[in-house]
Amino acid sequence: MIPGFSVQSAPTEAHNAAASIYVAPSLANALDALSEYGAAGAVFAGGTWIMRSPIRHEPLRAHYVAIGRTAELGAIRIGTDVVEVGAAVTHAALAAALADLSEFDVLAAAAGRSANPAIREMATIGGNLATPDFAAADCVPALLCLDAEIEIAGRDGRERMKLEHFLKIRSTLAPGRLVTQIVVPRSERKTAHARLPLRKAGDYPVAIVSLSVTIDAVGRVQAARIAVGSVEPIARRWERLEAALIGRPLDAEGAARTATELADEFVGRDGVDAPAWYRVSMLPGLVRRAAAAALGA
Amino acid sequence: MALSLTVNGDRVTSTADPASPLVDILREELHLTGAKPVCREGFCGACMVLIDGKPAPSCLTPAALVEGCEIQTVEGLATRSQLNRIQAVLEACDAVQCGMCFPGMVVSLTHLLTTRPDATREDIRAALTGNICRCTGYERIIDATLLALAT
Repeated sequence: MIPGFSVQSAPTEAHNAAASIYVAPSLANALDALSEYGAAGAVFAGGTWIMRSPIRHEPLRAHYVAIGRTAELGAIRIGTDVVEVGAAVTHAALAAALADLSEFDVLAAAAGRSANPAIREMATIGGNLATPDFAAADCVPALLCLDAEIEIAGRDGRERMKLEHFLKIRSTLAPGRLVTQIVVPRSERKTAHARLPLRKAGDYPVAIVSLSVTIDAVGRVQAARIAVGSVEPIARRWERLEAALIGRPLDAEGAARTATELADEFVGRDGVDAPAWYRVSMLPGLVRRAAAAALGA
Repeated sequence: MALSLTVNGDRVTSTADPASPLVDILREELHLTGAKPVCREGFCGACMVLIDGKPAPSCLTPAALVEGCEIQTVEGLATRSQLNRIQAVLEACDAVQCGMCFPGMVVSLTHLLTTRPDATREDIRAALTGNICRCTGYERIIDATLLALAT
């Protein structure tokens, strides 16, 4: 018997409802439960995606393991070399924890301006990363430009991988495994997050540019990582733009011009909120904003 | 298995499925219809309630996760028939709107008044990001909130 408590529904009728939600008191208990449920089970973090399953005409899983009350997954550890963020840390908690660390401006902005205040108190960083169908997630491009690594755990142990790799394999994650933490290296850098919602706030962004640059002693870009989110189904880095910025002084207008020349590599996604061409056409402007914000940091 | 909930100070039980949205339990079992299931996506704020003192969209909150929590709906914000501060000021300023978005706004603003006594006009706007009105507006509500903060 797994400790904690599990809420079971009365087995009276077959309908689109979860049979149980097990509230795990610890990571070990969560892993045990997920392993026992196998393919019939799934992780329930903030629930802001799962609870909308009926609107997407998707059936609920039979069993959920709620991880929001496990101390290990709700912790943020700010070390000298890395910041470790538990998968169940909410957007609001993450934004607050990083508020005074300017090297993490991109992630603080991504977490702190996404959705709306009540959702930011619920939605978790792990959920943002582990939901393949959520193309407009703010934290994914932010973490890509910060060179984040993802830790995954199962009953048989833990493994760590680059976020880029995790994004490729996340939809095939074996039952019983879950994201436990996100590890972000610390360094001297300027970062910024530029997003374009259809309203000023409270909306999904139709396009996102997250930027991280290291500037050398004479003011030239020494290293750059730029990631684009919401334009294509999966967020990814814009490596050609990164390469074009290296060795030059960072200049918002110049970066936007270069982005205009290179934007044809993106194949936008059509959606009810915006057509594909519109998302791609917004990129140079977002690059300009991100570069200007980074210069002002 | 029955769920045990505390709603507006009363202990209640529910036999709803564990994944049932809290808003449905409030409305259909407890007949507390102030919270409205409008978008069911956490965007509009019409179903906003306080869970352990924090605003939360009850459309995205499963029953199983509110076991043992203190839930306050718009019906429970007044105590002994005394409107709370934001309710009284909204009424005095004639900043009351229809029952679709307004209960959720009152819930969000109740939290703002208790946690951000220094809130500016921009802070109030930000706090209402998740409360959408599609027919009237916000300015009189924001003016009234500033007055409530000043009194």
